[in-house]
Amino acid sequence: MTPANPAPAKVIEVNDLVTHYGERKILNAVSMDVRDGEIMVIMGGSGSGKSTLLRQMMALEQATSGSIKLMGQDVDKMNIREMFEFRKKIGVAFQGGALFSSMTVGENIMLPLVEHTKLDSKTMEIMVRMKLQVVDLAGFENLMPSELSGGMVKRAAFARAIIMDPKILFCDEPSAGLDPVIASALDDLILRMRDALGMSIIVVTHELESAFKIADRITVLDKGTILFIGTVDELRSSNKVRIQNLLNRRTEEETLDPDEYLRRLTSGVEEIAGNTGL
Amino acid sequence: MSTGKTSNPVARFAEKAGKHIVSNVEEIGYCGVLLVESLYWLIAGPRMRQPVRVSSVFIQMMEIGIQAVPIVAVMGVTIGVMLAIQGIHTLKLFGAESQVTIGIALSVTREFAPLITGILVAGRSGSALAARLGTMKINQEIDALHVMGVNPVRFLVVPALLAMLVMVPSLTLFSGFASMLAAGLYVGLDLKISLAAFIQQAIDILSVDDLMHGLGKSFIFSILIAVIGVVNGAMVTGGAEGVGKATTRAVVQSILALVVTDMIFAFVVTR
Amino acid sequence: MKYEIKEVNGVIVVTIEGDVDLQSSPEARKALLDGVGRKMPVLVDLAGVGYIDSSGVASLVESLQTARKNGQEFALAAISEGTRRVLSLARLDKVFTIFDALQDGLKKLG
Repeated sequence: MTPANPAPAKVIEVNDLVTHYGERKILNAVSMDVRDGEIMVIMGGSGSGKSTLLRQMMALEQATSGSIKLMGQDVDKMNIREMFEFRKKIGVAFQGGALFSSMTVGENIMLPLVEHTKLDSKTMEIMVRMKLQVVDLAGFENLMPSELSGGMVKRAAFARAIIMDPKILFCDEPSAGLDPVIASALDDLILRMRDALGMSIIVVTHELESAFKIADRITVLDKGTILFIGTVDELRSSNKVRIQNLLNRRTEEETLDPDEYLRRLTSGVEEIAGNTGL
Repeated sequence: MSTGKTSNPVARFAEKAGKHIVSNVEEIGYCGVLLVESLYWLIAGPRMRQPVRVSSVFIQMMEIGIQAVPIVAVMGVTIGVMLAIQGIHTLKLFGAESQVTIGIALSVTREFAPLITGILVAGRSGSALAARLGTMKINQEIDALHVMGVNPVRFLVVPALLAMLVMVPSLTLFSGFASMLAAGLYVGLDLKISLAAFIQQAIDILSVDDLMHGLGKSFIFSILIAVIGVVNGAMVTGGAEGVGKATTRAVVQSILALVVTDMIFAFVVTR
Repeated sequence: MKYEIKEVNGVIVVTIEGDVDLQSSPEARKALLDGVGRKMPVLVDLAGVGYIDSSGVASLVESLQTARKNGQEFALAAISEGTRRVLSLARLDKVFTIFDALQDGLKKLG
């Protein structure tokens, strides 16, 4: 992108998102955006709210307040028909793949086409096989999901997510549980999606190497608020303590009160020992 | 559960019971919503280019109905023979054992065929529905349907519901025939009444009303089994153990619902 | 999306203009199969195609295969950079015969 270009369009705009589950505040006035054609990586520890944020960006859940705009349209204000049309432009690769276990791999990948288009069955079949080629699963279309390894399931799920060449692709923990070689191949796949098809891709991950390799920008969430949004370089040069800890994978030490600790370790121990007859 | 301690054990019990009742009422409400949504997709789906898939309905019908035929046959035969034995034994006390046909015909058509078939389908297919949906839920397959714009009610619930509506009454009829045939053969053996005479006597005593009563119940039963199975499956949380619990719950709730409905029918109709 | 089929020096030229996507690719497919059905070498002029998606590419693949089965030649001409990227993502740039300019294609096939 040359400096002369105007600011890129925002495909996702999150404004002041607040979410409560009962009394717990999961997201606290989160605001961020994703630009056209960029790979945005969202990171954060467990309890940071990143899964909730992702689910709400995918319009799977509604926030308590705030707004999410996808390609300029407010997701809360769309009716059923508009939403249905919209789903064509979004692809999601879930953490466990979420392939439908009663269908073959090919049928899984073809399902969005069957539901959304009037394409000829030959066209759809060729499209499915093309996408399987792209994710390196050529020839696997007649297998059942239960016959695939974990890495293959993720790749098949990826193929299903991109079958309609969506504008926005969501990936939930794409490398989780995969060996480094396969994880790296998936990272390459994500990069290719951006480069060849101009997809905007949102990746939730906790793998630092992966994030640094693929991200155009990174958002770091911590306990429901945004700790950082920016490029990889900006992240590395940040001097916020929490971010330094994240980068160096240091767990934060709570300040230890010796008396309190001793009390916690020993209170009621004699009773318990007595009860178990030791 | 509650913030702050409720000191009084009676109050605590009332609170627990109250929460239980509220969640059960919520569940019944959920069932109602599901039925309405199912109807909506049946009617409005095709116009929105999102029809219910016929192939799914057929697959469900195979699973719920055709594959249950052997066991329904066995149960029907067993019930028929049991009724014949008990009937003859009891009526012998009054010397009226030749009248046993009346009792068998009426009780099979009005009560046993629908109820036993219903319980069997609840145990077999109601649990399967709950297990399938529950597994899909924890596997994020329901979420996947949502993000694809495929409505899970249309895709999963309506086919199962339609299949149940067709298959449960059909299986009930089949079960009834099996029971009558088996009973007739036993009565023939014991009382030396010919099968033809037995059947004739049965046809004489049965009215269309009896048939409607039995089949009407089986229609209601099919809806109950489907909806209870679906609701329990959809509410699963907590992994594989949760699926197991939901499956058990679906069966128990369905059977309870069937029996209560049966009693209500019996009460209302004999007024 | 618009298309035109004409014969030039014994070659069927299928000219497609506009975006080929989920909506318009069935029409493009019909045009391509129509062209292939005329039993002469087929050259697809994609100079006017700014955007083509997987469904469009699948239609191209289907017509290529149909042409091959009939022993006909089938080639693409004047594809944009974006189209080339989409094709190479699925490794199809090695499968299709691609000419940079329409004239080269006409010379080779005619």
